[in-house]
Parts: sequence; structure tokens; C-alpha cells
Amino acid sequence: MAQNNDEVAMSMEGITKRFPGVLANDRISLDCRKGEVLGLLGENGAGKTTLMNILYGLYQPDSGEIFINGESVKIESPAKAIQLGIGMVHQHFKLVDTLTALENVILGIPSEHAPVLDLAPARKRLLNLCDEYGFHVDPSTEVWRMPVGKQQWLEILKALYRNARLLVLDEPTAVLTPDEGEQLFRAIRKLTQEGRSVIFISHKLGEVLEITDRITVLRDGHVVGTVPTKEATQLELARMMVGRPVTMERKPRPAVTKKEPVLVMENVNANDDRGLPALRNFNLTVYSGEIVGVAGVDGNGQRELAECITGLRKRTGGSIRIQDRIVDRIMDDPSFVGFIPEDRQKTGLLMDLNVGENLVIKDFWRPMYARGGVLHYNVIRDHARKMIAAYDIRTPSEDVLVRYLSGGNQQKVVVARELNAGPVLVIASQATRGLDLGAVEGVHETLLNERNRGAAVLFISTELQEVMALSDRIIVLFRGEVMGEVDGDGADVSTIGQMMLGKASEVVA
Amino acid sequence: MMKTKKHPEFFALPGLGQLALSGARPLIGIFLGLLAGAGLIELSGVNPLAAYAAMLNGAIGSPLAISNVLVSASPLLLTGVGVAIGIKAGLWNIGAEGYMYMGALGAGAVGIVPLPLPPIVHIILALLAGAVVAGLWGLVPAYLRAFKGVNEVVTTIMMNYVAQYFTSWMVHEPQPMAEPGAFFPMSRKLVSSAQLPILMPGSSLHPGFIIGIAACILFYLAIRFTPFGFRTRMLGANPEASRYAGVNVKRQILFVLLIGALMGGVAGAVEVMGLKLRVYQDFVSGAGFEGVAVALLAAGNPLGVIASALFFGVLKAGGAAMSVSTGVGGPMTIVIEALCVIFVIAVGYGERKRLERADKPEKEDEEVIQHVG
Repeated sequence: MAQNNDEVAMSMEGITKRFPGVLANDRISLDCRKGEVLGLLGENGAGKTTLMNILYGLYQPDSGEIFINGESVKIESPAKAIQLGIGMVHQHFKLVDTLTALENVILGIPSEHAPVLDLAPARKRLLNLCDEYGFHVDPSTEVWRMPVGKQQWLEILKALYRNARLLVLDEPTAVLTPDEGEQLFRAIRKLTQEGRSVIFISHKLGEVLEITDRITVLRDGHVVGTVPTKEATQLELARMMVGRPVTMERKPRPAVTKKEPVLVMENVNANDDRGLPALRNFNLTVYSGEIVGVAGVDGNGQRELAECITGLRKRTGGSIRIQDRIVDRIMDDPSFVGFIPEDRQKTGLLMDLNVGENLVIKDFWRPMYARGGVLHYNVIRDHARKMIAAYDIRTPSEDVLVRYLSGGNQQKVVVARELNAGPVLVIASQATRGLDLGAVEGVHETLLNERNRGAAVLFISTELQEVMALSDRIIVLFRGEVMGEVDGDGADVSTIGQMMLGKASEVVA
Repeated sequence: MMKTKKHPEFFALPGLGQLALSGARPLIGIFLGLLAGAGLIELSGVNPLAAYAAMLNGAIGSPLAISNVLVSASPLLLTGVGVAIGIKAGLWNIGAEGYMYMGALGAGAVGIVPLPLPPIVHIILALLAGAVVAGLWGLVPAYLRAFKGVNEVVTTIMMNYVAQYFTSWMVHEPQPMAEPGAFFPMSRKLVSSAQLPILMPGSSLHPGFIIGIAACILFYLAIRFTPFGFRTRMLGANPEASRYAGVNVKRQILFVLLIGALMGGVAGAVEVMGLKLRVYQDFVSGAGFEGVAVALLAAGNPLGVIASALFFGVLKAGGAAMSVSTGVGGPMTIVIEALCVIFVIAVGYGERKRLERADKPEKEDEEVIQHVG
């Protein structure tokens, strides 16, 4: 061990972190050598970010030890981590928008001429770092005026300014253009030549294979294995990442003969919340009586897709028609479009209103409930009781706040409201996220019934298993584009998996 | 990865105990506020029990005393309910001070003109003028908040000062409203047909409190039982989900803030038409801000506003009596008001913390979902 230690920059041994109900990290051990790029690969929820937050002192592990240069250390705060030479670039940047690049860099570092803030030496050092690593950032520009790519450079510069010897990059390429990605890789290679170490977190196989020396794969909170990059293949890594046994059987379904186009999207473009393109020339037609599954790694335009169709997000180009009605405003009529949104607690429900009220948030103004300008609560209650019975919502009564229901029953409230009126189009966005198996089964059953009734169903999910179990057709979304389409029958995990990672179907075949 | 739920299907149902607690919360806060106030009175060398007895006597000891309470409470009822509607929608409409000035100017402008009208018509015209002028005034912060996202707290506070100084300018001599040769800047007196009737001879009891209580009941019913009220509660509970459900969020924000302005305008109009009979420079002197305190004490419930406005009325009317008979300084009543509000908020905060602790497993699950990725 002793001769090994002088080249290991950092090692973690037996790290365990438990949150209520979730074992986020289960006895994780890994190490990162000096001058090495270690790839940390895993699906969403595999425990990557928790592990790195432990390394950076944001969380304390329940058990396990961290060694820096062979010495056992206790990292109780980010300040301690910085002192130990650890630099971290979070997936969501930790920059102060209203301060300039330079001010962000020196934030938290005592001034050389305290109490006077003398920025001149800091500016000089920052500009030197910019030149050295090829990042061009103007020190006097406020962060809010910088494009996200530059903000990424700034985060890295911030860590280098603090003499980071071990740099953790969490999904660094998510916000970068391909050119910027290349630039980042050049900088990473330079850093490792200087003997620094980099931990590169990603779920994109291609870039992990390109830049890393070794790869550690996490799944469900534990280490599946560590392989030298030279010996790794995409397929093997994908299997390690996803590799749980197939538990979901493909659902049997009657053939639907009469098919008409319901949702027609042509050349749709839309931006995400940061104003970056999220959907690019997106084309899709969904017919009545079919479930179209949208597979893809999270963050490839799924949310924007659902929001564009339902009018919640303005598209920047293209057209969307639902049964020849042009989508030009929020689709709030559940007898036309049923929309199960991605985040039921933030979007789909009002947690501090009761079950009965939540069942009518789209309809309460209709004459049925609001005769003569007054809400008829007895009618609303009757409706609620019917829904509770029909959709098996487990609640003591319709007067209970939705907050007090379990996740599965909260989702049933959303499903009941959105599907009860028999919409022509159903959009289900991550409809089973966070639900237990029984509840997942219930949602699948309901959506299949909608399809058999003749509705067009768009089923958006990052869980490939359920997309494959439920869909008549599967499209794969990658960076806001359709990467490929496969038939639901006989779809094959590795083909879809490859497309999810950005390889068009013909290339794979 | 599947998120596992640890807690049972449901828990902590809002049963009777909790209901009693939510009703008791303001009372506990008020009790603590009075207790702290007693300590301060003790420090100033007066027996607190005697002081509070004098206060109570001065507030409800005689019909005249009670009329004083009602007169003090009437602007608070109106401004309080306006702020409370805002709280229900998640908005801090704290421009009541300014709305009162503008409402007073509107009512004053109509009220000082001798019109050949029966009093009832002249009174209604003046009240309407007050509401309309304040409403137009309130349109500015309401529009900015609804359509431009400008924080309503900042705009309403700033506009309070503008309204105050504008009123001062309007009642200074060269302006047509001003009383010629007055020793203090004030408008001319309202003609008798524009004055509210006095309900009890020998007192200054005007029907303002009836208008105020009626408004509180009306808005309670509106919030509880109309589509408009439902939209308001939806907006307060979750703006994003409201938008998703098809609520025109911008319009709703505009309406809710305008209601606050209208109520504030009526409060200012009533104060001038029933009590002051002239628009004086700086006459509101904090009554608008007290409306915010009243709404806070009532936790945004329009019915609660009735109780909390009357409580403030007792403190104000009784405080004067306490000051006369025991020598405790008049400002002490304002200190006690403030203490009560602080304690009610503190008790509410403690209660929320307790609920959050009960919610905690769920909260941490959410955190995991965010961080585990």
C-alpha cells in the first residue's frame, strides 16, 4: 500500500450515506490518482452527486473515511475542502449573478491589503490563469451578462485560483456547445499534465470514454465496478449503468384499427428556462389509439416538449396542432387534453387545498360547479366522492389537504382530474416518478385504458423499462431532437440505449 | 431509482385539536403581548393591572367609550380586509396609507362642493370618488406587479410617501381645495350633505364600522364561496399550479391588488366624511400601516379582521383613557399593539416549525431527489 499511496491523490473508503427512506451511498470506495481523470458514471439517482457533496464537505457521511494524499481527513465544510485542495464545479453553478467575474473569483478570500479591497493583484492573477488554460473571461463582466459556457469557465477558474489539486466537474458539458466541450477537454488534459487530478461526472458515455483514464460506475448507490478506459466499451458501460434485470413485462394490448392523427408537431423549436435551445426542429405525430413513448436521458428536452404541447411554454418556432386546433394558449380543458405534469407537487397540485378542490382546479368555473357566481361545494364534494371511488384514491375524506396523502394517492388525484373527462390527447410526463411499484402499475394500467379507448397518449419517461413496456412506438429524444424511432414490439434495450447516448440508429446498426 | 415512502398513507389529520389550536394561536400571541406590555408599564412605575383596568374601562365602560372603539376601528376594518385579501393571494399590498390619502382627496374633492343633491346621493358620490381615485392610484403598483413583476412591497411603500406629500400639496393654500387662511394645512370643510350621519347623539359614531364589517363579511364569503375567491386562494397556494390550471395569474394579481386599493380608498373617504370632515395634511399618520398589522393579526382571514380591528380599537380608545387616568404615556398603546403583532407572528412561526418537523421525512426525500442525481 505504501508505495501506492504516493500516487493516489484522493481515496474514499466505505462511504455510506443514508437519507430517510433512501440509501444514497452504500459502502462506496474509489480512488483518484495524481494526474488522472477519473470518470464517475451513473444514471440519475445513482448517488454521484451525493458522493461528491460528501467529498466537498456539504454532507457528512454516516460511515467511511476519506484520504487525501494518504492521510485520513475529516471534511466538515467546503472551506476545509478548499483548504485540502479540492475544487468543485457544481452542475448548477454557485455564482453570484450581480457580481463581476473577478468579484466571484475572490469571494471568500481575504484581501491582500485588508481591510481595503485591492482588486489589482487578483485581476492580474485571474488574467494569467485565463491565458494559461485558454479560458477567455472578462474579469469586469457581471455574471448575469455572461453566457452559460463562460460561467462554466469561471467556475473552473475559481477553483484553480484557490490552487485546487483535485477538481470535481459535475456534468460539465451539459451547458457547453461541442466547440466549448473540446476546449474544456484541452484544459482538462493540461491540468492533468501538471499533476492535478480531475473527477469527471457524467452520464454521457461518449465523452467519458474520450477524456477519462479510468471509469467508476455507480448504480443505486453502490460501486458496480471500476475499469480502465482503454479496456472499456460503450456497451459494457451501458450494461453496468442500467444493468438491473428486466422486471417489466410488455403489456398485452388489443390492436386499434381506426387511427387518426391527433397531435401534429412540425419543426417545433423552444428554449429552456435559461434561454438555450431545448427543442430543435422537432417533428412528431401521435395517432389516436396509440401510446408513443418518449425515451431519453433526463434534461434532453422532455420538460419543454410537454410544456410546449400544453401551451405552458412559448415555442420559438414551428406549429403544434391537436385535432386541427392550433395550440396558442394554455390547454386547460381536461376534456380535450389531459396533462399529467412532471412535478405533481409543484405543478399538478395545490398542496394546501383539499382533495375535492384539487379535483376541480381546471373546472370550478363551469356552470356545473359555479351557478349564479357561487361555488356549489356540495356538487364539488359529490364529484370528489365519485372520483375517490372510481380512481381508488386512499383518503379519509374529500376534505383532507392533498399534502397529507401519499405520493401515489396524490398522483391519483392528478390522474383522476386529467383523465376523467375523456380527453383526445393524454400527455404523461414522468408520471410514475417517485411512486412505489403498485402505484406505478396503476398508472400504467390507466394509460393503457386511455389508449384502448382511442385517446392519443404521449408517454414521456426517463425510465427506459416502462417506456418499453407500455409504448406502441418509441422515439428517443437527444438534445432536443428525435434521435431515432423504433417499434414498441421487439424493441431492444441496447439499440435504444445507444440512441439515448446520442448515436443515430443507422450508425449503431 | 424508486423513492420509498416511510410515513403512512396520511398523518396528522386536521382534527378538532388542531382547529382549536389555530383559533387559539392569535389569542396566545395577544396574551403574551399584553404580558410583555404589562412588564413595560410596571417599569414605568405604574401598576399594570390598574393601567389595563383603566384601559378596559375607557374602551367598554360606557356607550360613549364603545362608540370610540368603533370609530377607531372603522378605518382599520377597511384597510385590514384589503391587506388580508392580498395575503390570501400571496401578495403584500401595504399601500393602504397611500390609498387612504388618495381616497380622502377624492371624497374631499366631491364633498366640499355644495351640490344640489339629497345627502344619500352626495354621500355615495363622494365615497365612489374616494374609491375610484384610490383605485387609479393602486393601478400603478398593481400593473407593475402583475405585468412587469415589480415587487409590490417596494412600489406600494414608495407610493405611500408620494400620496402623503401630494395630499399635503393639495391642501396648501394656492390649491382650490385648501381652506383659505388656515392655521394648519387643511381642505375646506365638507358640506353637510356629504357628511356621514352621526348614529349616537353626543358621540362621533359614524356608520364607517358598519361599512367595514359588511366589507369583511362580504369578502369572507367571496373568498370562500366564489370562483373569484377560489382563484385567489389558488394563487396564494401555488402560482405555478394556478397557471397550469388555466388561471389568468396576471389578471388575478391585478384584481387582488386593486381590491386593496379600493378598500383603502373607502377607508380614507369614510375617515374624512365621518370623522375629520376636512382633509388635513398628514391626517392618516400610520392608520394605513396599522391596517397591515390588523391583517397580520387576523392571519389574512377577513372574519378575523373584524376581531383584530376591534381589538386595535380597544387599545387605541382605551389607551387614551389609560393615559389620562394613570399617567402611562400615550405611545405605550402603540408599543402594546406592536408587541401583540410580534407575538402572534412568533407563535405562528413556532407552529409552522412544528408542522415542518412533522413534514420532515417528506422534505428530506425531496432533497435526496435533488441531490442524488
